[in-house]
Amino acid sequence: MRTSETSASPAGLFEGYDSGGYFCELFGGDAGGRTLPSALVERLQRLELRALKRRAKDASQQLMDLGITFTVYSDRDTIDRVLPFDPIPRILSRTDWDQIERGVKQRVAAINAFLDDVYNDGKILRDGAIPAELIKANKHYLKAMEGFHPPGGVYAHIAGIDLVRDGSGEFRVLEDNARTPSGVSYVVENRHLMMRAFPDLAEGVGIANVDDYGARLMQALSALAPGGMRDPCVALLSPGVFNSAYFEHVFLAREMGATLVEGRDLVVQDDCVFMRTTDGLERVDVIYRRIDDDFLDPQAFRSDSMLGAPGLFAAYKKGHVTLANAPGAGVADDKAVYAYMPRIIEYYLGEDPIIANVDTHICREPEGLAYTLDHLDQLVTKPVGESGGYGVVIGPRASNRELAALRRQLKADPSNYISQPMVDLSVSPTLAGAGIGPRHVDLRPFAVTGRDTWVLPGGLTRVAMRKGSLVVNSSQGGGSKDTWVLA
Amino acid sequence: MPKLVARFAENAFWLGRYIERSENIARIIDVNAAFARDEAGEADWKSVVALYADLEAFDNGERAFTAEDVAYFYLLDRDNPNSVRAGMAQARENARAIRHLISTEMWADLNMAFNEMRGWTRREVRSTALAETCARIVTDCQTFEGIAEGTFRRGEPWLFYQLGKLLERADQTTRVLDIGHKRLDPGADEPLASVYWNALLRAVSGFHAFRNRHSVSSGPSDVARFLLYDREFPRAVALCIEQASERLRSLEARHEAGRREPVEAARRALEFRLETGPEMELTGEALHVFLDQLQMELGRMSTALAQSFFR
Repeated sequence: MRTSETSASPAGLFEGYDSGGYFCELFGGDAGGRTLPSALVERLQRLELRALKRRAKDASQQLMDLGITFTVYSDRDTIDRVLPFDPIPRILSRTDWDQIERGVKQRVAAINAFLDDVYNDGKILRDGAIPAELIKANKHYLKAMEGFHPPGGVYAHIAGIDLVRDGSGEFRVLEDNARTPSGVSYVVENRHLMMRAFPDLAEGVGIANVDDYGARLMQALSALAPGGMRDPCVALLSPGVFNSAYFEHVFLAREMGATLVEGRDLVVQDDCVFMRTTDGLERVDVIYRRIDDDFLDPQAFRSDSMLGAPGLFAAYKKGHVTLANAPGAGVADDKAVYAYMPRIIEYYLGEDPIIANVDTHICREPEGLAYTLDHLDQLVTKPVGESGGYGVVIGPRASNRELAALRRQLKADPSNYISQPMVDLSVSPTLAGAGIGPRHVDLRPFAVTGRDTWVLPGGLTRVAMRKGSLVVNSSQGGGSKDTWVLA
Repeated sequence: MPKLVARFAENAFWLGRYIERSENIARIIDVNAAFARDEAGEADWKSVVALYADLEAFDNGERAFTAEDVAYFYLLDRDNPNSVRAGMAQARENARAIRHLISTEMWADLNMAFNEMRGWTRREVRSTALAETCARIVTDCQTFEGIAEGTFRRGEPWLFYQLGKLLERADQTTRVLDIGHKRLDPGADEPLASVYWNALLRAVSGFHAFRNRHSVSSGPSDVARFLLYDREFPRAVALCIEQASERLRSLEARHEAGRREPVEAARRALEFRLETGPEMELTGEALHVFLDQLQMELGRMSTALAQSFFR
């Protein structure tokens, strides 16, 4: 394949495609700015719409057949939903990726240093770089973690850093996910799907491999087993089949070669964790848990939790089991703390952020609140405690009534909110309705940290399938694309 | 050797059981329908319902003992926990829980079969379509079993899957035999009985095997002997038990805990019961009582497995 790079303009399959003034992941912005191998762009342009639609339909049938679904349970039925898959890949150049990879590693390093500090010395709080009450009163702050150093100083073993690209083509961090970020199974499965449905498209292109995520994760977690033991027993703790992400838990357990367990399979004796097997109790050394802190251990946290194991947290504090991610890591991915991330990076690493935040107004601070109230119809306002896109109000698209309601809520509980200017999320050509149209996308790269940090090349590209929509969350009608990092 | 989480052993066991059960229910409905066609509608649908001890559940005031109502109840009715549709849903949920332990092909196949079955309506059990529907269920189950044979790693999950399948198969064979025991009685009308035997043997894919092993002059007790004790017939009860015992020995060899007393006791009781059969007259009420006892011993074995391995 020829490697000459051009900023192509829409033709062939993309005839008549108009990115609507947004930065386009394939064709760049008004001023160009996108350099992808011309031969690859030409190959995409030569695709026929009808063939593309047919193969997309086959691909989505395959997802259903293979049960790559999230499952919703009702009283008498199970409903399997496929995360909509768009067959036109999102392509990242080597230059894009170098910046993302360095930026994500920097972010993860800062998050881990920050967490170790706030749960131990609290220097950053004493120095006033971030308000102490923002941390200590945070609902994700776990007092029980104070004075404890997890193995290797790692809290966020698996981190998902949500990125968007703004109108000028610059990447920005939209959100950090330091608890149990999900979606990585789609990255790997989308690639399999893409290679089956379009074997001809990627031929000779040289795309970074995503297949070894499970092995990398297993390696990273094993390296942090208690006492540096060799060949530890690693288990993935899932809430069970009724969890909508159960497919991902199964996928990861299989890819990692880890044992999949639920809380009821675990038993803690003498501050050691065991699982019930057909041949008696078996010691567990590392637990990749996909349940929230609150539910980990009814003795330490929510007493009504049926998902965890009584005594698990005590075993952890004794250093008899490694938990990933560490309990209490959520304080670092809070939307209010996010606003301080540039300062946190500077504080611990003495560096400027490699990927900037989206400008953020903190409503707990008087100036931030005043600005937000004055510009409510221009800003995106987010409750800090929610995830999955819930409660987000997009000012320019909200009705007067919605804005009035938001204004009341803001005044009643300002510290529950942050606001950001509208980001002109980049678009990517997407199969939509009758043809190809621009749809907004974001990107969630996944970082795995053991003795060091590794970032899965690419990550999950989520796409808002509805025209004009900025909400890419799967719970709100988002889909996904295969994400290619060019070699 | 990596150890198996107890709960997954139970999932594997029930996966094997539900697939086998679904296949057998379809076989029984099919043979009864075939018999009905031969005998111009004289089929006894009530005995099928009685066979599964469902008389009370079936009788809701709206259903009649017709081919269509009974077939719907046993093939498609989601509210009947003993229906094929409910069984396949259970099989799928068990498979979902152990998706990381079974092959991708097994999961995909079961998933596709289940998704297709979801679209089935009453039309599928009307007289013109019923045979085809039953054949499809049987084929679906056999396809799954074939994929398992070729792709399921021979580790512990497979051993428990096999145990579930073999115990269910033995149980279903005793039920098929039981449903026929009245008609197989030598006192019954000869031609009718002979038609019924043939149908019965076909229901368990044993017609040709039986013909091959027994002379034309063979009687009803020969059919019973064949279904219970034949050394080469894969659905014969004794052969199923023998294979189940082999699986248990494999488990024993893998486990530090070695032999489990409750399981061993259940196995001995089952074998002992089977050994008493050949000494008795395998017809009429005596046969019915004997089959009942076998079913009870099989139930005890299930309980012993649950006690020893699933908790």
